[in-house]
Amino acid sequence: MVFDERLTIEQKLKILSAAAKYDVACTSSGVERKGKRGYVGNAESGGICHSFSSDGRCISLLKILFTNQCIHDCKYCINRCSNDVVRTAFTPDEVCALTMEFYRRNYIEGLFLSSGILYNPDYTMELLYRTIWKLRNEHRFRGYIHVKAIPGADPALIEKVGFLTDRMSVNLELPTADGLKKLCPGKSREKILRPMRQIQTGISENKNELTLYRSAPSFVPAGQSTQMIVGATPENDFQMLSVAEALYQRFGLKRVFYSAFVPVVPDKSLPVPVGGPPLLREHRLYQADWLLRFYGFEAGELLTEERPNFNVLLDPKCDWAVRHLERFPIEVMTADYPSLLRVPGLGVRSAKRIIMARRTGRLEFADLKKFGVVLKRAAYFLTCQGKMMAPVRLEENYITSRLIGEERKKTCEFENASSFRQLSLFDDMHLEAAPAPSDARKALFGEL
Amino acid sequence: MVYLCESSLEGIFCGVYAVYADRQPLSDCRLSLREDYEPELFCSYKEIPLDPSKAEKVAKKIRNHMSMDAYRALSRAALHKSPERADQILRFIALGLSAGRRIMQMLKEPAVYEIFRMDQYVKNEAHFLVEFSRFWKQPSGLYCGTIGPENDVLELVASHFADRFPDMDWALCDERRKKAALHTSSGALAICTGITEEESRLFDKNIAADCYIKLWKTFFQTIAIEERKNPRCQRNMLPLRYRKYMTEFQP
Ligand code: SF4
Repeated sequence: MVFDERLTIEQKLKILSAAAKYDVACTSSGVERKGKRGYVGNAESGGICHSFSSDGRCISLLKILFTNQCIHDCKYCINRCSNDVVRTAFTPDEVCALTMEFYRRNYIEGLFLSSGILYNPDYTMELLYRTIWKLRNEHRFRGYIHVKAIPGADPALIEKVGFLTDRMSVNLELPTADGLKKLCPGKSREKILRPMRQIQTGISENKNELTLYRSAPSFVPAGQSTQMIVGATPENDFQMLSVAEALYQRFGLKRVFYSAFVPVVPDKSLPVPVGGPPLLREHRLYQADWLLRFYGFEAGELLTEERPNFNVLLDPKCDWAVRHLERFPIEVMTADYPSLLRVPGLGVRSAKRIIMARRTGRLEFADLKKFGVVLKRAAYFLTCQGKMMAPVRLEENYITSRLIGEERKKTCEFENASSFRQLSLFDDMHLEAAPAPSDARKALFGEL
Repeated sequence: MVYLCESSLEGIFCGVYAVYADRQPLSDCRLSLREDYEPELFCSYKEIPLDPSKAEKVAKKIRNHMSMDAYRALSRAALHKSPERADQILRFIALGLSAGRRIMQMLKEPAVYEIFRMDQYVKNEAHFLVEFSRFWKQPSGLYCGTIGPENDVLELVASHFADRFPDMDWALCDERRKKAALHTSSGALAICTGITEEESRLFDKNIAADCYIKLWKTFFQTIAIEERKNPRCQRNMLPLRYRKYMTEFQP
């Protein structure tokens, strides 16, 4: 291991951002905070993307490691201690300067600070804490901060960090304890779940406190997230999605991110993905994840032990719908919101618009199109005032083949799944401009 | 009869007021923007001067009789680039006067849908600029940036930055409309119109003067994952027309 003391800030930035890039979480959503005199920054609940890198992923935060030194030897990780790369570390002041100066130029929404483990978890967590403390108190930064909780660190330190950040995350990395044991010798399932549970408890206690005292400091107000690597171990989609569902339900997570495995360090225990990283699989997981969080689906409805993997040719919602033709078609004028949400080609926004607009008049298919419904998909599953848009056979093979033809035409989608802008919640927006980019965003500039 | 009004929200509202004051059937009237109007044969027209008190009467009627949402949607639609915007606002108000509070739900009505669509378009562009505007720091300490929006969204974008950077000296110039938002560290925000050539040169980026430009470009390049390269997707997410103003895409 080469530790180089004399690197310039630019060289450090290069090394420590390259080492952080495999962490996919780059969102800045979940917290709304107005600006204030004497401070720098604010936060918007829908999050703001600032750029898109050449892989099509959104850049919202300055995503860096504090240091790429690490005592662990996780086999898939570029920072594993047995990998021969140049090692370096920022100082807290360097991180603060980069964050503030990038923020003032409107390059970023804030900081996503993670780190390799230097000496031990407490030492590392303490460094992260000192950095964030300076940023909030000396630089008076009110923008977004996401910090990684280091498994094994003293709960008291994690709590202190939680009161200064908007989001925290602990990466599950691999969906099963077995996979973890195989690839991450220094980690265990328990060690990862412990801080996750602590943060969850902290958040819910803080919510109670905030209802009593409005001025109480808030603890991880944008919630916690985690990440799983897709395709480094043999788990199937059903296992992955069930783990995600359990994390949402039992740990109250805000987001689960999926990261297609990219082999960066060769190791005999790692697969060599043919045809590059499993991006389509990653994309399907994101689509299904969306269905769990916003569309009222359960993992067991989308996949089963017998059919444990997603259909390569159809998105999970279409795939579910063609297998449940007995439920369709449904009538636009009378169907309730949960049933509308289950129609392929309809999203959260278009379903809401339908419900609003049908109170004041009878709807036709032409109206639905204006509301952003993708008729090419929805037409097989809907009636308007009792009529289908065109005569169709409600028959699984027929509809499936039509939908697959449609899916092929969709362009860039699966090649880039982690930027949330084009995911199914929004692909119903076919207004003249591209949809505005935020996760469940509120009306912009409400006060005019 | 064609009514010609000023292109601001107030100007358009004055036009609406004049149409109603004349008690003409709406089907015979058209509200156009004076600046875009080209005289047509056999067509009589009337110029409507700006009168803030009349504009306020119309605004009040919308807020009280329809809703605050309707009022906000109209104020953003008035920033849309379409030369038809004044007439579209007139049609919306006409329908709203009879529909009242339900107006925003009536998306099925073309008059409502048009305003909805324009509002959406303006909001989207404003949001894009909140994301993609870039400042650079002059040796004097002033942070300045340039945008070239299709719609007149400078005020919307500037109000975002005024909240975000309350103590900073910054300036954001709309080079298409020759106007700029100026914000001082004391918290004052002003919109200046008629920016001259010489003034606009102040905004030209001087890469050597701001060392963070280079650092940002470095970060932008290293954060991409080579194995996932996807320029088409990048283009879908980040329309090309914004790139010319963005630090990371500039030479
Ligand atoms: S703990 Fe494992 S995954 Fe994290 S930086 Fe160290 S080697 Fe990489």
